[in-house]
Amino acid sequence: MSHRTRTPHLAAALVTLALIGGASAAPKKVTGYSSLGVTDGKSGGTYTLSLGDSPQSLNYYGAIDNNLGLISQQLFDGLVEFNLATYKIEPALAESWTISPDGKVYTFKLRQGVKWSDGQTFNADDVIFTYKNLIANPETRAGDAGNFKLGGQDVTFTKVDDYTVRFTLPRPAPAFLLQQRYFILPQHKLVKFSIDGGAKAADINGAWPTNVAPSEVVGTGPFKLDSYTSGQKVSLVRNPNYWKVDGKGQKLPYLDRVDFLIIRDPQAQLAQFLAGNLDQLNSSGAQFPDLKQKELAGGAFKVNRFTALFGSPPFVAYNFDDKDAALAKVFSDVRFRKAMQSAVNRERVIDTVYNGLASLPGHGVAPANKAFYVNTTRQLGSFDLAAAGAALDAMGLNKKNSAGVRLLPNGKPLEFDLTYGTDSAVYPPIATILQSDFAKVGVKVNLRGILSSKLLSTGLAGDYDMILHAFGDQPDPELRRPIWEPGGSLYYWHRSLQPAKDGETPNVAKMAPWEKEIYSIFEKAAVTPSASERKALYTRWQLLFAQNLPVTPIAKPENIGAVSNKFGNYVYNLGVIPGYNPVPLIYQK
Amino acid sequence: MLTYALRRVLGMIPTLLLISAVCFVVINLQPGSFLDQYLEDPRVTKETVAAITKQLGLDQPAWVQYLTWIKGIVLHGDFGFSFANGRPVSSLIWERLGWTVFLAVLTLIVSWVIAIPLGIYTAINRYGPASTFANFLGYVSLATPDFLVALLLIALVLHFGGTNVGGLFSPKFIDAPWSPARVLDLLNHLWIPMIAIGLEGVAGLMRQMRASTLDVINQDYVRTARSKGLDERTVLWRHAVRNAINPLISLAGLSLPSLISGTIIASIVLNLPTIGPFLYDSLLNKDQYVAMTLLLLSAALLLLGNLLADLALAWSDPRVRFE
Repeated sequence: MSHRTRTPHLAAALVTLALIGGASAAPKKVTGYSSLGVTDGKSGGTYTLSLGDSPQSLNYYGAIDNNLGLISQQLFDGLVEFNLATYKIEPALAESWTISPDGKVYTFKLRQGVKWSDGQTFNADDVIFTYKNLIANPETRAGDAGNFKLGGQDVTFTKVDDYTVRFTLPRPAPAFLLQQRYFILPQHKLVKFSIDGGAKAADINGAWPTNVAPSEVVGTGPFKLDSYTSGQKVSLVRNPNYWKVDGKGQKLPYLDRVDFLIIRDPQAQLAQFLAGNLDQLNSSGAQFPDLKQKELAGGAFKVNRFTALFGSPPFVAYNFDDKDAALAKVFSDVRFRKAMQSAVNRERVIDTVYNGLASLPGHGVAPANKAFYVNTTRQLGSFDLAAAGAALDAMGLNKKNSAGVRLLPNGKPLEFDLTYGTDSAVYPPIATILQSDFAKVGVKVNLRGILSSKLLSTGLAGDYDMILHAFGDQPDPELRRPIWEPGGSLYYWHRSLQPAKDGETPNVAKMAPWEKEIYSIFEKAAVTPSASERKALYTRWQLLFAQNLPVTPIAKPENIGAVSNKFGNYVYNLGVIPGYNPVPLIYQK
Repeated sequence: MLTYALRRVLGMIPTLLLISAVCFVVINLQPGSFLDQYLEDPRVTKETVAAITKQLGLDQPAWVQYLTWIKGIVLHGDFGFSFANGRPVSSLIWERLGWTVFLAVLTLIVSWVIAIPLGIYTAINRYGPASTFANFLGYVSLATPDFLVALLLIALVLHFGGTNVGGLFSPKFIDAPWSPARVLDLLNHLWIPMIAIGLEGVAGLMRQMRASTLDVINQDYVRTARSKGLDERTVLWRHAVRNAINPLISLAGLSLPSLISGTIIASIVLNLPTIGPFLYDSLLNKDQYVAMTLLLLSAALLLLGNLLADLALAWSDPRVRFE
């Protein structure tokens, strides 16, 4: 809406609009990314990406599905989003917010003049609707109800006026703002599937199935759904109502269309990329070792490396509650875990498994995470089989049988299974490297391969001795509390600490002293509003983690993205997560 | 013959019921459940998992789940719904059926049209250089898995700078309306799956046809026909081939279930929008109603194929008659 127009007719219309909808549109200016190589682009072009499989639904909260996530990211926005360079939270659909001094009341001022892709006005009702019926609804498949029940009490959502919403928390939750990147969905399209519209709580999962009419799927994101061809392609077109502009004031996104080709096999994706049918290929270093060589040999694309903030660094965990009591005792002994860490050849894993496209891991926090990471590289130690052997000798495991395997105090050989996922590019080679190095210090490891998708359930069931698995890094440790807090629902290497029911107090009496300390750190940091105090607490946690090794982290894979030379402004630091969407900046040269 | 066919169709019902029960048991014996993927996500609480378990009816005893599913099929023609997609199974299968049938029928036709003449030719000219070469090719293609052929073809196309390295269309033609250009684009992509999937069939059929032609060609009735002074062409086509083709009719009947499960890996490698990968996924995810419906469909196709083959045999071979 231009204010330079002087036509009385238009001015009158503006006044009316102002009376109905408040102030005029306030588009967000996207600037300040020159350090990432971002320049002002030009309008037009079709960008083709790949999806690993057909999306299971078009309702983001209806299915936990990465492919759906990839598409949703282009269709919807949240209240806040990540700055692409600093990873700090900045305004999105919420233009500003205030947090009460006690850390319990969050008031969001919504951006005015934002329109849904079908032209309807976005306002506070949509926000309240989405939080109440989708995100905090325990019956939605991919909601996040758990985060809206703090200490057994619900977070309440109130509409203050058409452009102000207020969330009241029963207790302070410092990571709360970071989480509010949830996509906001349109009330006017979804109300008939919701509790508000008189449907059952679970009915919302059935909204927007993959055969829904594209015009029904309405969002505030840079693109809108154009068509879906089963098993083959999802097409998006530019949303003319998008609320972001570039440094020169040009409307974003630059692209006319984004096409997702559904290609299941990674090698087939690579072939399509090399053939020029895909413009971008996101991968990990383990997947496509020869991509860089092809670039150097004159390919019309560029391979980019990005340090990852999110993502799953693999680790090994030993079962403190192993069925074999003698093994459980050894595994619970920090001296054993530290000794074995010296036999973990991280450099070799990084070089041979990840083709050098990975770096040393942190302890629960990614090294790229400037807000929380504390440098624990020294505690990772170095690969030293002699030191590992000496440390095992020192803890009394110095007798060996004729085959060179160390003997446990009960006279049985120190031999156990390593459970790993067979259907992965990284787990099998890592498992083999561990097995062969462990054998050299007299620890016999038998490989036990299962499907990667069964690793977690196997871990939670306690049906393993040693396991190779990966869990995510997040920008705030609070967001991975179920994993790293002793007694948390995913702290499966010491399952006997877990409470009978989620949310109850874990078995603190059975915790080792360092586990008790970590437990109280997490409990405290969860309700401490001061950022510096939280940083201090989590620093202490990372050191305790590094010294006591509840799990032994192995490597931090980098994000690798190859992009066609036809396109500019490619950024891929964080991967695919809500609130991080660099696609509107991509333009065709 | 009509009563025979009717009897056979009725006989299929208990067989299918038994098969469905076996499939259900096997799927439920698999470790883990559809909900494992939810457990993997730290934002999902145990309460949510319990709620979803209830939504999906997975909290009920296995036999109740099975009977509810069967009841739905018998009473409403409802094959259950997909856990993953939250949609009825039948509509999901229907979406993928078109291309699956198209590809299967086309590969079948192509492989028959190539294999049968080749089989006859190699049988009659047993020691010629051409048939030796054909036989050699047959052995090689029998020994090479279809997905490997697919990968080799893709590598070859890439090497020569082609862009048709998977799928059935170029990206811009996938959702375009039908036009001569789109048909051309389809043909340009189609030859790769035809060769990759069809080749294995050609080799097998060719060997079969060759063997049975060799069998009949020395039979008394062929010699009789020849001694009557019939010309070689009539002897071959009217007497020898007509008898030699019988085993192939049974084979054709048995090939119907390959519609669903025959080309899973090749379909994944070649990125074909067929049912195979869908079955593979549903088995991995324990999306039980999808998996069961597809396995049941596969079994039904096998029975149906057998019946059709028997009927076709009765028609083609006067020695086979039903009373």
